[in-house]
Amino acid sequence: MWEWWQRNRPLLLGAVLLLMALLWYSINLRQQDETNFPERMVLILTGPVQAGLNQVIRGAADVWDHYLYLIDTEQENRTLLENNRKLSAILAESNEVRLENERLRRLLDFKEAQELATLPARVIAEDATSWFRTITIDKGSERGVVEGMPVVVAEGVVGRVIRSSPRFARVLLITDASSAVASLLQDNRARGISRGKGERLVFDFVLRQEEVRVGDRVVTSGMGGVFPKGLIVGDVQSVDRQEFGLFQAIEVIPAVDFSHLEEVLVLLRRPQ
Amino acid sequence: MNRALIYFALAGVAAVLQTVLMPLLLQGDYKPDLVLLLVVYLGLHEGPWRGGLIVYLMGWFFDGVGGAFPGLNGFVMLAIFLAVRGIVTRVNTESSILLLLLVMAGTIVQGFLFAFALDFFRQDISVSSQIAWQLPVQLLLNFVAAVVFLKLAVWLQRTFLPRRDLPGLRKLDSRYES
Repeated sequence: MWEWWQRNRPLLLGAVLLLMALLWYSINLRQQDETNFPERMVLILTGPVQAGLNQVIRGAADVWDHYLYLIDTEQENRTLLENNRKLSAILAESNEVRLENERLRRLLDFKEAQELATLPARVIAEDATSWFRTITIDKGSERGVVEGMPVVVAEGVVGRVIRSSPRFARVLLITDASSAVASLLQDNRARGISRGKGERLVFDFVLRQEEVRVGDRVVTSGMGGVFPKGLIVGDVQSVDRQEFGLFQAIEVIPAVDFSHLEEVLVLLRRPQ
Repeated sequence: MNRALIYFALAGVAAVLQTVLMPLLLQGDYKPDLVLLLVVYLGLHEGPWRGGLIVYLMGWFFDGVGGAFPGLNGFVMLAIFLAVRGIVTRVNTESSILLLLLVMAGTIVQGFLFAFALDFFRQDISVSSQIAWQLPVQLLLNFVAAVVFLKLAVWLQRTFLPRRDLPGLRKLDSRYES
């Protein structure tokens, strides 16, 4: 027995260590919505370095873009002017809709939905691995940012805060595999869950009989308690209604271009 | 103690490079895993207890900048470290080719363990297909990073520490010598 123990000791001890590490990970899954002490320390220590380096790199890139790389500027200027005219027309139209909406609200004696307080933040770093989708922002609990708060940009939903330290916070993007957003189709109000799948999303649990078309807009349903209702998630890219099964396989392209995220807005609303 | 501090400092530099610099240089969400390289190196040249502790703590540190699951990086890094320790007595640890091969194998093991730990312990998450899809690109990136690291390490050693031997960099293949 002693000989067997001596011969296999390294293997057994290695296995025990590994099992303990796995057990610790498994226990932590229950408290993963809170920022633990090591994570807070890492954010406190790495945040300023990341913010500093990010500023230096962005500064260098800015100099390059504004002074050294002006080849396409004229063409870009013309395109932007054209876009500006189109957007002005759309804005005028949407103003009409807004005014009508306000009149109807008053008519039905609806309470005006209270404006959510927002906090602008700068993206200073991305996830350290290729397997997960998170970003670090330069606002933290000192400015009221806590775990669970939604993060958005003008185009749509970005994600939610998962870790926060006094001056920095980490945000889980909606494209991460562990992200799930209660959503609905804007046109026919079919409900489902938008899950992250790398650069795209899958819109799960939409019943087979629901009519879904490519290009349909997916918005938050407000059911999950994290995101307010009506924020844009993305547009349907493909629909696969299989012969059997309860649900359809729907792929969604996120409305937000995550490769060019620089500034975001944190909605200062605690998860319900 | 000094060596441990150097390892943590290197892990810190790697984390900052991976979170700030690499995303600006590389398109998409792919970036080479420099910390994996460090874990493999530690597996080849540090003892099981000391190295194991350093790697596990490094994993906890890494949870603060990568992923959303506390303890996951620690578990995966410790598993890779122990796997390397398991073969270290049977191979020539001074071979740089071995380091390259182990980084490649470590990338595959890492992908498998992430998929196992998430798909098995979190029923609502399915990452295995996404990881399988990303793995070839990640393998290529980690391979290139390992080759660049070897060239850079040899150059740094010759420039700044010409009289000192660093473990694992004593008998390098001629292709990595400058």
